[in-house]
Amino acid sequence: MYSSFTRAIKAEHLKLKRSPVWLAFFALPVISAFFGTNNYLMNQGILQSEWFSLWSQHSLFLCFFFMPALIGTFCSYLWRLEHLRTNWNSFLTTPVPLLCLYLGKLYQAVKIVILGNLWIFLLYFLCGKLCALTAPFPPQTLEWFLCGVLGGAVICSIQLALSMVIRSFAVPIGIGLLGGLAGMLLTNKGYGLLYPYSLYSIGMRANNPKMEIDLKLFAISSIFYMILLCILSVAGLRRHEQ
Amino acid sequence: MKTLQLEFYKIKRRKIGLTMAAFLAVQFLWGLWAFHDPSEKEKAQGFLSLLYSLPVLDAVLVPPIMAVLASRLADIEHKGGMYKQLETLRRPGSLYHAKALCGLIIIIVMFAAQYALFILLGYAVGYQGHPDAAYYLLSYGLKLMSNSSLFLMQLALSMLFANQMIPLVIGLCGSLIGLLLMFVKMYSFLPWGGNLNAALVTMEWNPVNRNITYFYREYTPIELAAVGMIFVWFVIFYIAGRTLFTRKEN
Repeated sequence: MYSSFTRAIKAEHLKLKRSPVWLAFFALPVISAFFGTNNYLMNQGILQSEWFSLWSQHSLFLCFFFMPALIGTFCSYLWRLEHLRTNWNSFLTTPVPLLCLYLGKLYQAVKIVILGNLWIFLLYFLCGKLCALTAPFPPQTLEWFLCGVLGGAVICSIQLALSMVIRSFAVPIGIGLLGGLAGMLLTNKGYGLLYPYSLYSIGMRANNPKMEIDLKLFAISSIFYMILLCILSVAGLRRHEQ
Repeated sequence: MKTLQLEFYKIKRRKIGLTMAAFLAVQFLWGLWAFHDPSEKEKAQGFLSLLYSLPVLDAVLVPPIMAVLASRLADIEHKGGMYKQLETLRRPGSLYHAKALCGLIIIIVMFAAQYALFILLGYAVGYQGHPDAAYYLLSYGLKLMSNSSLFLMQLALSMLFANQMIPLVIGLCGSLIGLLLMFVKMYSFLPWGGNLNAALVTMEWNPVNRNITYFYREYTPIELAAVGMIFVWFVIFYIAGRTLFTRKEN
């Protein structure tokens, strides 16, 4: 099983090799960080909690609007090759268990979420230093980072499932964008933990002035959605025909 | 005409309408959430405020939706490797016109539905008076132009690149740029700022009593030039798209 899994990862790695997909994860957080920092500097009269205020400006739009769509783009890219010509046949006849094939794709998607999050937090740190914030860098960011990765993994699972079923490259991305927007509404209504697209922004403490969440419920909800979507995706693969 | 009919035939069961309906549904749900319980002052200014809120919302949300629409219209030919073959059956120019027109018709219907839904919502939550028909029509026209130019740009990109990731990421970046522009000024010469230029109403926020007052915008010469830029972008993207398409080899 383990060797099948590593083979699936290697195959996915080969498919992604020299693809410019990572550029989007690099560029969008830069625009968001620039905009967030600019907004923070213009409203320092109201935003007085230094690092926390800066984070509120960095994370709000990135987490709700752009990361779900960006993850959606990456997941659509992961399934793009399978949807071309008769590649589903070769994919499904590979002597590797379907679960491993799915996990190979999930691994790549989660890996880019981790790298994307690292980049987001690095930009946050650099922008904070550029703004000459005097308070020390908040150690809680490690928790936000880890929770963000878990929430991001849930979005990866749902976007992988959508991109597997929908042959179009664009539609799952549109769904990701609208899902993220709906997530903002549901989080404001207090139902965020029940909705998979909200989990990333909840984990990252976007639009959360108290910066506190129910970690236990968050973890249960994230793991539940990941397992559910994994089961559904593998079942979908089993029933999949060309 | 026949080529246009064929375009609609190609997108049959591609659920493009469903994608656009989902976009409208999410916007409408946002409207329900944001406007469901207006104060007396908000009711008095309700229909006026819509002419501000909708363009601002569209500045952020529409660029990726236009990218999705353009990609859905263009990727069918990439998948089938049809561009060269189609050129032997129809003039490339007419094929481009058909694709552009097909998307523009969808945009016209989509934004008409958007206005109808939000006007109905306004009546449902008790906004006073009626929408000013002249301003609403003008706003609708400007919105069509600005979003059509975005669509034409995305269509050109989607036809140019077989890998649809590139135009879609540009659409997402456009969304962020729209958001960024919104916080800088209410006008822009960039194509993604068209929706902001098209906002016929502006607002004033009073930090003391936390009140918002909406009023019709008095365009300065530079803002009027930015409105004119919407039409310039439309022409540029039309010509660029058509030229790129007719010269496309594969």
